Amino acid sequence: MSALLKSELRKLIYLRANWLLLLWSGIFAALGTVAPILILNSDNGPGRGAFSGTETPEGINGVFANASGGYLFALILGILIMTNEYRHGTAVGTFLVTPKRSTVLVAKLIAASLAGLVIQLFSFIFAITSGFIALTFFEPHAPVPAELLFKVFRASAISGLVLGIVGVGLGALVKNQIAAVTGAVIWTLIVEGLVVAFVESIGKYLPAGAIFGLVDVDFGENDFNFSIENYLSPGPATLVLLGYAALFSLIAMRTTLRRDLD
Amino acid sequence: MSSVKIEFKDLSKRYKDVLAVSNFSAQVQSGRVTGFLGPNGAGKSTALRCLLGLVNPTGGGAEINGGSYSQLVDPIHKVGAVLDSRGFHPGLTAKQNLKIMASASDINFSRIDEVLELVDLASAANKRTKGFSLGMKQRLSLAIAMLGDPEILILDEPANGLDPLGIVWLREFLQKLAGEGRTILVSSHQLAEMQNTVSDVLIINKGVLVAQGTIKEICKGRSLEEAFLELTLRKSA
Repeated sequence: MSALLKSELRKLIYLRANWLLLLWSGIFAALGTVAPILILNSDNGPGRGAFSGTETPEGINGVFANASGGYLFALILGILIMTNEYRHGTAVGTFLVTPKRSTVLVAKLIAASLAGLVIQLFSFIFAITSGFIALTFFEPHAPVPAELLFKVFRASAISGLVLGIVGVGLGALVKNQIAAVTGAVIWTLIVEGLVVAFVESIGKYLPAGAIFGLVDVDFGENDFNFSIENYLSPGPATLVLLGYAALFSLIAMRTTLRRDLD
Repeated sequence: MSSVKIEFKDLSKRYKDVLAVSNFSAQVQSGRVTGFLGPNGAGKSTALRCLLGLVNPTGGGAEINGGSYSQLVDPIHKVGAVLDSRGFHPGLTAKQNLKIMASASDINFSRIDEVLELVDLASAANKRTKGFSLGMKQRLSLAIAMLGDPEILILDEPANGLDPLGIVWLREFLQKLAGEGRTILVSSHQLAEMQNTVSDVLIINKGVLVAQGTIKEICKGRSLEEAFLELTLRKSA
């Protein structure tokens, strides 16, 4: 297993596209913290009245909660780890070296999980740093408590570990790389975002809703009636995410073990 | 004294309405180069993929050294395979692709330089494979197959897309490997080339074995091409 895991990590490290993905995850998460600071502090910005400003603790919570938003890239990397094998025909070589496909799958799931963690930690640091820099232009602002950073860090780490696994399962199921990545992006940025924001009763059980519950910070009163009270608390949210990891691991196993490699 | 290294036992594979391989039984002896011949769609690639555990048979099976491929311990050291000219990531260099395969099976990286030399690809070791010609890709596939220094080689159309120089190189390469006593099962459409390279022949048509024997037994004084056409056309008629 350790040899296989080393081989999987080597694939991740050698591919330049993966490093670009890491960079994009940081930029995406940084936009999530910097953009609200700019909007909340603009005189006539659309968000000015909708949410609390950065001079309030709730406003600061709303800004830094977004630092865990790079999980989409952990999901995409998980998809690439699996679909690259089919797209480039390397699955044949991989399964010839290790005919026991379940062992290969376990190595891939571990590698994807670790890669997802790295993506999320990198994007968290990038987003937090960018947020602090942006705030210096809009003094005075409410302090950024360590507890808030810890909560967002926790959500980033757990979501990275889980979404990498979900990506592998999705990639094993769909196989077509473009379809899997496009579907994941549309789902995460549009469908899931809308459901989580406007249909909390369902949205709180979706991955993004569970990550939102895991962040667990108060946004205060806002025009969208958007409150953390409507989402799962961190314990159940973690269990929901682990459930997704288990479900997609099972999907990856069942599809890959049975599939003919023509 | 040769022994049976590879055995197909009543192998069948059906894809929905298409019976790709039907009750195919054949043996490959150790230390011999066996040509696996058949028209397009005859079932050669499917049979080889069943042998290597990549495709699940719907009936029967195929064995290497008396067991299924998945039962082999450390298979890369027992069997090397070239199934098509893909099988490596285009964004990586030849050496990086080989390192990935080597690290998955704990093979020392010094072996990478050896196999690259073996297939005359040392000068392109650090080039990304997306810029490789088809001939270079075939050589890299062979390098990957040779990584574990296996005693058995299974090659599916290794001459596909090769120019005349590449075909000559491949013939000499296979003859060199055969001279080392390795067992080689090679499928090909290049019948003239096969006649100069193989010692035994398996002919498959429409998923069914139509002939098996030494090249002398199969040809009976004719060229391999003539024998092949007669056997496949006669069985089709």
